[in-house]
Amino acid sequence: MKLHIAIEDVQDAEADVGKQLRAVAERHAAEHDLYHLGHTLARQCDEHLQRLAPFADRYGASGGGRSVGESTGVVETVRRRSGDLLGRSKASGLLLLRDLRALYLSAQAAEIAWVILVQAAKAARDSELLDMASSCHQEAETRGKWLRTRIKETSPQVLVAG
Amino acid sequence: MTDRIADIWGMRTPHAAGTEWPARVDEYVEPGVPVDEVGWVRSACVLCSNGCGMDIAVHSGRIVGVRGRADDRVNHGRLGPKGLFGWQANNSPDRLTQPLVRRDGRLQPATWDEAMDLVVARTRQVLADSGSLGMGFYNSGQLFLEDYYTLAVVVRGGIGTPHLDGNTRLCTATSDFALKESFGTDGAPGSLTDFDLCDTIFAVGHNIPETHTVLWARILDRLRGPDRPRLVVVDPRRTMIAREADVHLPIRSGTNLALLNGIQHELIANGWVDRGFLDAHTIGYEELAKTVADYPPDRVAEICGVPAEDIVAAARIVGTGSRLVSTCLQGVYQSHQATASACQVNNITLLRGMIGRPGCSVFQMNGQPTAQNTRETGADGDFVGMRNWQNPEHVAELAAAWNLDPLQIPSWAPPTHVMQMFRYAEEGSIRFLWITATNPAVSLPELHRIRSILGQDRLFVVVTDAFLTETAQLADVVLPAAIWGEKTGTFTNHDRTVHLSEKAVEPPGQARTDMEIFLDYARRLELTDKDGAPLVKWRTPEECFDAFASITRGRPCDYSGLSYNTLRKGTGVQWPCTDARPEGTERLYTNHTFNTDTDYCEDYGHDLVTGAAYERKDHADLDPAGRAILKAAKYVPPHESPGDDYPLLFTTGRTAYHFHTRTKTGRARQLAAAAPEVWVELAPGDAERLGIGEGDLVRVESSRGRLEARARITGIRDGMVFAPFHYGYWDHADLDGHPSDAPDGRPTAANELTITDWDPVSKQPLVKLAAVRVTKIGDAEGRPAAAPTTTASDPVAAEVPATGGGDGVREAVREER
Repeated sequence: MKLHIAIEDVQDAEADVGKQLRAVAERHAAEHDLYHLGHTLARQCDEHLQRLAPFADRYGASGGGRSVGESTGVVETVRRRSGDLLGRSKASGLLLLRDLRALYLSAQAAEIAWVILVQAAKAARDSELLDMASSCHQEAETRGKWLRTRIKETSPQVLVAG
Repeated sequence: MTDRIADIWGMRTPHAAGTEWPARVDEYVEPGVPVDEVGWVRSACVLCSNGCGMDIAVHSGRIVGVRGRADDRVNHGRLGPKGLFGWQANNSPDRLTQPLVRRDGRLQPATWDEAMDLVVARTRQVLADSGSLGMGFYNSGQLFLEDYYTLAVVVRGGIGTPHLDGNTRLCTATSDFALKESFGTDGAPGSLTDFDLCDTIFAVGHNIPETHTVLWARILDRLRGPDRPRLVVVDPRRTMIAREADVHLPIRSGTNLALLNGIQHELIANGWVDRGFLDAHTIGYEELAKTVADYPPDRVAEICGVPAEDIVAAARIVGTGSRLVSTCLQGVYQSHQATASACQVNNITLLRGMIGRPGCSVFQMNGQPTAQNTRETGADGDFVGMRNWQNPEHVAELAAAWNLDPLQIPSWAPPTHVMQMFRYAEEGSIRFLWITATNPAVSLPELHRIRSILGQDRLFVVVTDAFLTETAQLADVVLPAAIWGEKTGTFTNHDRTVHLSEKAVEPPGQARTDMEIFLDYARRLELTDKDGAPLVKWRTPEECFDAFASITRGRPCDYSGLSYNTLRKGTGVQWPCTDARPEGTERLYTNHTFNTDTDYCEDYGHDLVTGAAYERKDHADLDPAGRAILKAAKYVPPHESPGDDYPLLFTTGRTAYHFHTRTKTGRARQLAAAAPEVWVELAPGDAERLGIGEGDLVRVESSRGRLEARARITGIRDGMVFAPFHYGYWDHADLDGHPSDAPDGRPTAANELTITDWDPVSKQPLVKLAAVRVTKIGDAEGRPAAAPTTTASDPVAAEVPATGGGDGVREAVREER
């Protein structure tokens, strides 16, 4: 049984998504929805890692201690400045699109990692793991849909206006 | 004669369930005007979404008063204080009467040709430089259907930009989205008569006595009648409706979803659900039951800060009534997890099977008088005739009706919401913004940011308004608008009642109707259809109405059986109104078939937590096929919570006497005097800790700005602070009577403090949730806060003069028919 590998892959992918979500939220703090939802979903990644931890122990995965890391907690005044300065540059649009695209690809990598874990849990007849992985997979899928929605809304303005 | 400032709801006419609400005709005519010489012109009130039928009194070419229409289904003759007195704004001496153009940094008078040439030249320049995505349009919830539909055709069809939204985004976007999520399309399921018939009322974040005064008069007549309905109220303030409640849940702001999940937990645990109805007419029950199972009363009590036994008691009332009406408003729509929470109110209605029958309904209420029409005409975040922007066949129907290539109509993404439009203007990709009949410089969150965006040189701002608002003062071109009473048109209230409002008087000076202004713009821009003919085919409001009625045929908001002639015969008529149902339709979903068919629905739905938009295949997989959708969501903590620096929770709201930013109500003598300036409400415990008493001058600060006002100690929940959002700067004056530089000097607008954040689904800004601190900056010196004593703002202990000053209203109760 190599189930620990599937768990480690999910851990790596979720930690990566969480890190990127926080980075994108802070870099594009003038996009207020990204700022707030980015942090909310990064906390969801933390939660996913916590829910994985007992299974990492059970199957001997190595990364039980992985975490996404705390928010840098940029204060409101800094956000305001970024809205005034960086946020008023037209180049920020292209940067935003590039970051969202990279984030989307990472989110998809995490989603498929969950699919793999769900499949393994089924064959291993581990119903606890299956319940947890199915519920997290659903959230991972929704996260991808959210990014897809945001990218579809943003790209015309970035690429066609001006 | 009654003082209807002192007595907001007027004389009681109690009645029992199932008996007709007695008529009471309210009339106010300017003192000294000979009433027998007055001419009466058919209209309806435009100062809240109840849309009371009224006639306008005209004498010597001036509006001199109003009276309610006894035969109108909405109000049975009654009017509220805003309706009785607000018309005086039409006659205000500071109406805009000619266009203004910014020259040498100052707004200066210009001709219509000069102003419109400038608007058109700048439009052409932006279209050439940036394309249609450089253009933005932000309108109102106070125009008429004909203004909106003309605007929608000009912008979506002619200019071809998705950047068109209404201030309904701040008001009823969540209502609209919650109805779409649960029932497939927009459209209030019920009828106001359901309040006459129900035995239980569940009001969530809806201060009915102040937001909808005539509806509250209607409910009071049941509460004082022989078979009083039971009442459950959710509101952190001790509002007048909370004082009438059997159970009042003053929850911590931002926790609606947890509470509503908790109530559903109780409904399911106690078997107070209609399984037959759920199995036959809904989908999603299993998922919902699983989600709310995590919200037992004890946990919810902890999150919401109310006793578990009160939650249980509230659920018992909601769960055991036999005719339940639920209603929500801004306490849900402008708060955390807005659409998710509004959907739970729909769920409660569905769990109990309380829909589509007399006395049973859910109201996702509106705020503004004509908000419903921005949604129907597609002048906000919706598509014309409640069509689905993601459905190519719906887009093709529009393109065929407008004789355009379907590609011309932006449908690659949802219509852009106003907060995103301001973001585009901030980063510089929107270069032209036309603002009609709304005042974002006071009404949007985080005002320093909004002012700084509107003040950019690179952004060309056009404002159409009746007055030089705070926003108009920042414009490059200001166009003077004709308003209600000065134009003919229609509008629709929150139970789908359509009224015709006739022109009673000429507009002042050179003011024009918004429809005329948009038609002129389209003509000057030479907007054409694909055959080169003018895009907009109508010249009069009636022609526009007929065109709109035609494009709604077969859609939920079917106006095809309505015309100006039919609306002139009786009084308000509820859509859908078709040739087959010329009398209109009192209730939707009476056969419990909902508008959720994939080909028919207005929206494929969203994930309620992230706002991820579902696509056609997602909806088709779900296959609701006429069943209502129970949508579940987990509670997540708000994005901003009180902490060490900002320990209190700030919420905003309205008072009974004012509307929005007081552009009209602040110019009606009695209304202005009833609530002349901003105040801040504090709970007794907090006030004591901070050493603040009645009338003391306080400063309220968030990380975004500050507000200064006199304090009023009220029954608001401990730890929370309230301020009304009506008070901007147009009537500030310094000691010499000149306008003061108020935003820096004496900030009074509640939105100086609010956060730039919006609901992920409806995109409604969350102005009811900000962390603040409060400090005393001056003594009262015997002067109380200027807050009304007749409403939620009355003091818990202090003796202050009673609010009054609305003498001269005649109330005539009609004998039962």
